[in-house]
This record gives sequence, C-alpha cells and structure tokens, in this order.
Amino acid sequence: MRHAVTLRIGPATFRIGSAWPQPIAQLSRLYSAYPDMAGHIADFTVRLQPTNMARRWLRPSIFITGDHGLADAAPMSLAHGLLAAEMGMNLQMALGWRRHLLLHASSVEKDGRVLVMTGESGSGKSTLSALLGERGWRFMGDEFALLDLITGHILPFPRLVSLKNSAIAVVEQAVGEPRMGPLLIGTAKGDIRHMVPRADAVARMDEDAPPRLLLFPRFGHAPAIRPVGQAEIFMRLTQASTNYVALGQPGFTALTRFVRGIPAHAIDFPDGDTAIAMVEELWGNAP
Amino acid sequence: MPPVTDPHYRRDPQDDVTACALDDIMLLYHHRSGQTHMVISPVPEILDRMEPGAILSVQQMHDRLARDFDLGSPQEALIEIAAHLDALVALGLVRPA
Repeated sequence: MRHAVTLRIGPATFRIGSAWPQPIAQLSRLYSAYPDMAGHIADFTVRLQPTNMARRWLRPSIFITGDHGLADAAPMSLAHGLLAAEMGMNLQMALGWRRHLLLHASSVEKDGRVLVMTGESGSGKSTLSALLGERGWRFMGDEFALLDLITGHILPFPRLVSLKNSAIAVVEQAVGEPRMGPLLIGTAKGDIRHMVPRADAVARMDEDAPPRLLLFPRFGHAPAIRPVGQAEIFMRLTQASTNYVALGQPGFTALTRFVRGIPAHAIDFPDGDTAIAMVEELWGNAP
Repeated sequence: MPPVTDPHYRRDPQDDVTACALDDIMLLYHHRSGQTHMVISPVPEILDRMEPGAILSVQQMHDRLARDFDLGSPQEALIEIAAHLDALVALGLVRPA
C-alpha cells in the first residue's frame, strides 16, 4: 500500500497500510511513544483501501480489510480513517489471535495485580480504565484483556483508548489536549475521540500480572454493588471472548481457573468519581 | 439388540468430558466437539453412573440412581430419566445403543 506504518502493542504487531496519507499520519503521531517496528514482520496486516478506484478521491470511502476481514463491513468516511485503522486492528485480534484467551474487557494494574472490567459497549469500562490510569493505576488496555493460557496472568494490550460521546469531555479534562486524537463526529457509535495512554503504560506494556478482581461496570444507574456467581461469570466471559471456542481445551482450562480464582461484582454507577470510589473500596477489600 | 420400545444408552469412550463445578452448575468440556455444556443436577449424577462403553437401559439407570437418591414415584422418575438421556443424546454426550 502507498502509505504504511508498523506498530507493536503488547505482544501483537500490526502493519497498517492505507491508500491515503491521513490515517497513517494520525496513527504515527498518536503511537509515537510505542516501539518502532519498521521492517519487522507483523502478526497482522490491516488495509484501508478505497471501496472502488474513483472513491480514492471523490468522497473518499474506506473499506477495512486485512488478514481477516468481514465481507459485509460498511464503508467509512476518510474523515474517520483513524477509527477505521483502530477497528481494523480490533478485527484482526478478534478473529485471528490464538496465543492468549481474549476477553473483551479493560484492565488496570496496581501493586502487581490486575483489575479486569468487562461489559458491553457503553458500560463505561473504557472510560473507567482511562480515568483509573490517571489516578495511580497502570492502564493495561480498554478493549482486550489477554489471559495467558499457562500462567493465568493478564497481559497488557494498551492501545489508544476509544472514548465515546459524554466520556470525551470527562477524560479530555483529565489528560489534556496533547494526548488526545482528532474528534471524529458522527460515527456509527456517535462522536469518538482517542486518547494516548500514559507513558508508563506504554513503557511497561510487556509486563503481565496476575488478576485480583473482576468487575462488571454499568454506567448511568444509581450506585449499587452485587456479587456475581461463578456460573454467570463464566457464561458472560465466554460471550465476551472472541476466541474461546477456537482455543479448545486450553481456553476452557484457563477460563475456569480465572473464574474460580477471583472475586467478581457487578457495579452500577452514575458518574466517574462515584465509580472510582466504588472500585477503590472493592479493591481494598479483595483477597 | 434391545427392542425398540426399551431404549438403551451408552457413553462412547471418545465422548470423554472434562468437568468443572461452578456454584450449582457443572461445566462439561466435550473434547470431541470442542463444545462446553452447562448442566445441572441430575445430569452429572446420570453421567457419573455410565461407565464408558457399558450399555444400560432407563430402568437400570433408575436403579443405580435409586441406590443413592430418593427418586419418588418410579413411574415419574423413569419418564424424567429417559428425557434426560435423550437430551444427552441430542448434545452428543451419550449415544443410543
């Protein structure tokens, strides 16, 4: 492809190619603190290409593809090129990664142990991990937590944090303009703005750690905490994993060990400050 | 071969499962299909009483369970056990013999 960059995030290396310079320039700026992998062999290739030849120039329209692709993926506007690249990387991980059990979850670390937060889009797990990452925790990832099949540890995958709608202003204030990407208005998920993790999160992205606490956050409700049974956790995590079935018995063994090994709670919260206070309290009480 | 009206069942040695109890649920990882099943009592108790390869009828399963549990009316218990065995056949964990 005409424009390309090779990035390593945690254990995975991506080569992202694009027919247009803008998405690559934006990626290069936002991932400037990450290891320079130019010339290395990548685990995955992502390609941002025009839906047809004319669409390279005329109302440019991006089709995301790569080693793994979705035939019916909707084309995206070039203005959302950064989001297309990020979605392309997600897609490769979700469909192709086999070295770890992938959990659709955010994760942060403190005192050598990991808090894992899982939930659907809009649950607040990304925002919460971003805010905790600014308040004494090490940010490990907002999209995928990688569970090691042998050690049971969580590996970091600290990509850019994808903030949506009302979460944008909350985090913008906390981290400042230089660590924010362009505001992408009117995407399929509303307005999106990416945030660069703190330098320590990137510098320590090869350091794994054992899990200590699992939370199921839910934004937009009065504060409430309820315990979650192991069977429910297992079911929700199999739904939250894109490669559980593909991994076979090692995935089963790793996931059952994870579920049996850590306490879990569902937490409802109306805002970030309340959530952080609840998280700190649960963390303090966790075995 | 047993008559059609008296169905018999067996567990194939290749239908081995890895079991893991979580609360009241038993997870069964079926190696051959790669599927994970979530089952509750009395399914684990039924599977525990089927040695791989051995053939048994609904009545024989009833008698084995009755040694350890109070099953109540035999007529109702037989119907329920047969339904569970048929469900296990549908899942591929037990085979008709």
